[in-house]
Amino acid sequence: MSGGGEKGSMTTKTPADFLKSIKGRPVVVKLNSGVDYRGILACLDGYMNIAMEQTEEYVNGQLKNKYGDAFIRGNNVLYISTSKRTLADGA
Amino acid sequence: MASEEESAVKEPLDLIRLSLDERIYVKLRSDRELRGKLHAYDQHLNMILGDVEEVITTVEIDDETYEEILRSTKRTIPFLFVRGDGVILVSPPLRTA
Repeated sequence: MSGGGEKGSMTTKTPADFLKSIKGRPVVVKLNSGVDYRGILACLDGYMNIAMEQTEEYVNGQLKNKYGDAFIRGNNVLYISTSKRTLADGA
Repeated sequence: MASEEESAVKEPLDLIRLSLDERIYVKLRSDRELRGKLHAYDQHLNMILGDVEEVITTVEIDDETYEEILRSTKRTIPFLFVRGDGVILVSPPLRTA
C-alpha cells in the first residue's frame, strides 16, 4: 500500500520510488565489472535496464569512452547513485 | 495528453527501437565490441546485426618487463546473431554531440 499521495520528493519509500525520482538527474552507474558510467539518467525499467545521455565510461577511475546515448542492460548493474557533478550545461 | 510521438523515449528499450536500421555500437562481455547495422532485436537484447566489425581486446604480459600489452583483434562478419545475455551496453555510434 505505497501508492499514497505523499508529496515530498525526499521521502521516497521504496527502491522503485527512488529510481522514479532520479530520472533526469546526473547519476553514476556502477556495473558488476567495476566499470562506472556517469551521465544523465534518461529512463529505466523493471529489469533495471538504463538509458543514459551524455555518458562517460570510467575504467579504474580513468575516462575511457563517451557515448551520446547509451543503453545499459540491467543484469550488469551493481548500483545507481546520484551525483553532484554538473555537466557542461548552465551552472 | 500531449503528443505520443514514436520518437519519445519512455523506456530504455525505446533507445534500441530508434536505432533499428542504424549502425550501433555494442559492448559485450569478455572484452568484445561490435559495430554493425541493427536489423532486429527482442526484449532480451538478442540482436541480428549486419556488416559487423568485431574487436576483441586481449591483455598480454611481456615476459621480460611484465608490462601489460593490449592487443586488439578485428574481424568482419556479414551477418551475426548476438545472444542478449552477453550484452553490457548498446549505443548509437559516434553521435557525440
